[in-house]
Amino acid sequence: MLSKISETRKSFDEDLSKVSNLKSLEELRIKYLSRKGIVPQLFEGFQDVSREEKKNVGQALNELKIFTQNQYDLFKEKLENSLKSSEEPDIDISLPGRKIELGSKHLITQTLDEIKEVFKGLGFSVYEGPELESDYNNFGALNFPDDHPARDMQDTFFINKNFLLRTHTSPVQIRLMQQKKPPIRALMPGKVFRNEAISAKSYCLFHQIEGLVVDTDITFAELKGTLVGFIKQFFGKDVVYRFRASFFPFTEPSAEMDIWWQPKGKAGRWLEILGCGMVDPNVLINVGIDPEKYIGYAFGMGIERPAMRKYGIDDIRILFDSDIRFLRQF
Amino acid sequence: MKISLNWLSDYVDITGISIDELVDKVSTAGLEVEEVIDQSDVLANMVVGFVKETKRHPNADKLTLCIVSDGTNEYSVVCGAPNVAVGQKVPFAKVGAIIPSNGLKLEKVKIRGEVSLGMICSEKELGISENHEGIMVLNPDLKEGTELAEAFGMNDIVIDVAITPNRADALSHIGFARDVAAIFKRKFHYPKVEIIESKKKSGEAAKVEIIDSKNCPRYIGKVVQGVTIKESPEWLKRKLKSIGLRPINNVVDVTNFVLYEVGQPLHAFDLDNLAENKIVVKCSAEGEKFISLDSKERILSSNDLMICDGNKNVAIAGVMGGENSEVTEQTKNILIESAFFNPSSIRKTAKRLGLSTDASFRFERGTDYNIVIWAAQRAAQLIQEVAGGVILNGEIDAYPDTIPTRSTSARFSRINKVLGYDVAKDEVLNILTDLGFEIQEVTSEGVTVNIPGFRHDVEREIDIIEEVARIYGYHKIPDVNHISVTLEEKVDQASFNDNIRNTLTSLGFYEIITNSLVNSDIAERFGHSIKVLNPQSSEMSHLRPSMLPGMLQSVSNNLKVSERNLNFFEIGKTFEKKNDGEIISFEDFIETEHLIIGITGYAIQSEWYGKDKLFDIFDLKGFVESFLMSIFPKIQFTFQQKKSDFFDLTFSIGVKENEIGIGGKVKSELLVLFDVNQDLFTYIFNIDRLKEVEVSEQTFTDLLKFPKVYRDVAFILDKTVESDKVTEIIKGASSNLLHQIKLFDIFQSDSLGEEKKSLAFQLEFYDSDKTLTEKEVEKDLRNIIKAVEKTFYAQLRGS
Repeated sequence: MLSKISETRKSFDEDLSKVSNLKSLEELRIKYLSRKGIVPQLFEGFQDVSREEKKNVGQALNELKIFTQNQYDLFKEKLENSLKSSEEPDIDISLPGRKIELGSKHLITQTLDEIKEVFKGLGFSVYEGPELESDYNNFGALNFPDDHPARDMQDTFFINKNFLLRTHTSPVQIRLMQQKKPPIRALMPGKVFRNEAISAKSYCLFHQIEGLVVDTDITFAELKGTLVGFIKQFFGKDVVYRFRASFFPFTEPSAEMDIWWQPKGKAGRWLEILGCGMVDPNVLINVGIDPEKYIGYAFGMGIERPAMRKYGIDDIRILFDSDIRFLRQF
Repeated sequence: MKISLNWLSDYVDITGISIDELVDKVSTAGLEVEEVIDQSDVLANMVVGFVKETKRHPNADKLTLCIVSDGTNEYSVVCGAPNVAVGQKVPFAKVGAIIPSNGLKLEKVKIRGEVSLGMICSEKELGISENHEGIMVLNPDLKEGTELAEAFGMNDIVIDVAITPNRADALSHIGFARDVAAIFKRKFHYPKVEIIESKKKSGEAAKVEIIDSKNCPRYIGKVVQGVTIKESPEWLKRKLKSIGLRPINNVVDVTNFVLYEVGQPLHAFDLDNLAENKIVVKCSAEGEKFISLDSKERILSSNDLMICDGNKNVAIAGVMGGENSEVTEQTKNILIESAFFNPSSIRKTAKRLGLSTDASFRFERGTDYNIVIWAAQRAAQLIQEVAGGVILNGEIDAYPDTIPTRSTSARFSRINKVLGYDVAKDEVLNILTDLGFEIQEVTSEGVTVNIPGFRHDVEREIDIIEEVARIYGYHKIPDVNHISVTLEEKVDQASFNDNIRNTLTSLGFYEIITNSLVNSDIAERFGHSIKVLNPQSSEMSHLRPSMLPGMLQSVSNNLKVSERNLNFFEIGKTFEKKNDGEIISFEDFIETEHLIIGITGYAIQSEWYGKDKLFDIFDLKGFVESFLMSIFPKIQFTFQQKKSDFFDLTFSIGVKENEIGIGGKVKSELLVLFDVNQDLFTYIFNIDRLKEVEVSEQTFTDLLKFPKVYRDVAFILDKTVESDKVTEIIKGASSNLLHQIKLFDIFQSDSLGEEKKSLAFQLEFYDSDKTLTEKEVEKDLRNIIKAVEKTFYAQLRGS
């Protein structure tokens, strides 16, 4: 009897391993566990077992019953689960998802970030300064003489005789050089103001980014090299450029950098991108740096115009109108 | 400033230099060409026509039907001029031509039923003169079909050059020619002045007295007698017209010509209108009145330098002449003024009077005190040529204190150090010589030069270096492609704001930038504002004292285009006075950096998965909390309900003693001001204070190894009890096993009673050192329930 039991267990295992679907599982159940199945049949034969064997056989029979039933239940559950999970649920996947709308930085911020990224890679630190400035920091210290036509280059909003809205980020240079001794390698982004009527072409404020390097062995050639590297990264390595002599009271020699702009279907032309030059010795003297020992260069550029050109925006006012239809595009 | 290339070639030979090359090289050397105007373009599509036939217009007595030939084709043209006749050579404008006098483009038209394929032009229509009597009849020897520009000799090219304020010397054809000569290594020369003078001296016919020699260091007078004032000859008119000047009469035209030739402003007085035939240069009396050449009455100040005769003002020095001494048709005798004025004096007067003239523009930038005699002689020569008369001998040269010649030196080694490139010594010397510098001394170390009187911008070594660099060519100085980077502490003062921007954009906010200038109504309503002295308009007269108006305006702009669901933020400066006095130092005002966030409209609208939901105050608070959590992960902020002039449902946020932000639901009276007709929730942070928040170094906390136990508990309380008060009591009553309290349900109903509400909390317990026992949790829970019940007379729900 005991051997019969162990044989049954063996054949059950074998049969179970062959089960692959609910139908063959049901066949297995009928074969072993149904009322006329092998396991109940074995219990029928229990009465014929001798008394001394009854204890062992009974235990083995019970174990077999529990084992086969458990195995069957487990397997059934497993099979049903696997079937359930492969079943297609009844949903319309073409419905839009629950998305979270991300915002965006202003186009001007994005452009500033792009420029900052390039110069940070060249070892520049970033400094900021106030927008309401003294006449001295904005003009005097930067070598603009009083009553000089150079002041007309920048239409100024005055608060009074001595205070104004900064017309460029250059006063940050002055503040920095007053606080920090060379070597200096600084980048100065910020908002600046020009007293101009608002139109498609001009706005009363715009953004600038300015660079300043002061050290013992700085040259005009290095200034050129740095800026060429920058515009190649910013406008692409095939950009056509030129340095053109110019005038700023706070640099000498001074230059402007133009790039060749070729709009589709129109005549190409040179576009001014930035102003630059070697820091005028008078500026260094004004902040207490010895111009014989130290040489500096500086450069500055507006952000709005290159950004507008890059994206084909022809009215500057749209940048400051907060129209969400515009903001969503960037 | 306009430069005519024909005129330019009187002083420098530019043959063989293409326009493109000229434009490129002078631009990169600092004289930026902004526009190239080919004069022949004005007469494009116009040719010499031959009138082959004429007949009366069938429908109009005064019109003539003409057949005009251009040598290849014949055109039928309707002409209204009485003088048109067969056999004439005429200026013929074809279809497509633009008529210079009115800018209209000719098209094929029908005039009284007859087709007209062009136009026969009058002198006026061609912009040549005011003559509109009839059509212009051309020299019969001209060949038909010849381009009209060619027939008229209009082959000039004019360039418009932007001259920077330092380069007053380039504000003339001769000054420009000097740079061109230096750049292209061409010969440059002044025109020869050869005059035959009478025996009588200028000084016998007129006197000059300088009283204010500080503002007028030098004054030249030269007299020409017996002139005839009339129209200028063609060559002179053409020169002036080519650069956009209107010819007036021969004498005035000569003074203008010399101004644009050499850059010295001149003035011609009618000598017979100068009392005592005398010039006195002095400052005006305060409040004096003077009628300038443009017939306007000017009120003078005691700082205005004036040219006077024996008893009255006759000109505002260096700015504009007066009506009382101007050259008229009756003028016979002329005093030519050729002077040097103090630039800053002229600038002050011109600025104060709001009057910028060709003369003041040059004087305020600095003219050449050495050219004044040459300019007076040149003018006399040309006046005699075009107006006849006798030139009196010599000049009256009032020059009390001779201006010393300035000189400066440059070290060759310094040139190379600054530029980072070795420019050859000879090259340096040649450039300086070509630009008019007189070489005084050359050593192996450097060069000393005398600075010409026309270069007020050059005084130091660095100025010499610039001259060398720009003429040598910036493009020839190499672009160094490896740079030395100093290893120093890296600073990024902008990184805090970069962080803020990153957080807010990922929370769904769009960054805006609004105008920092606002009108006075808004400025006064929102703070202690600062006024702009010279605003562009009344709409932009003050600096913003708050970020709120910009946000309101932005929302308003969007509502106008039916965009109603908005999440905006802006980072910017606000400006406020600290007291009522004038701003005399940085202590008198505060410039503060702020962040404002604003939400309006629907948080969820028209989505299949959820009910529409308008933004409310808890959305605002939620954004604020998420924002702070992202920027300051470990800092505990206190929220406090407040009253505010700008918000309802106001709450402030503080850390330690400092208030770092305030906001709420914008008051409806402010919304009305900006035409905003929906709720707007905004929060304003003071970034300067946010930056001061002390952040301790972030450290890692071990992850929990034991299970957490959750218990839900709900209380029925009075409606007025604030939830965070309950939270506080719960916290206080529990042991340190309670780690988190989350309010998950607020419930009100009739069954609870009108004045009651139910708050349900989920409590999270754990011990980081062991597994909690049921007993420990139950003990905490009992204490919590007891405390809440006792403090708020609350009732445990479901008990």
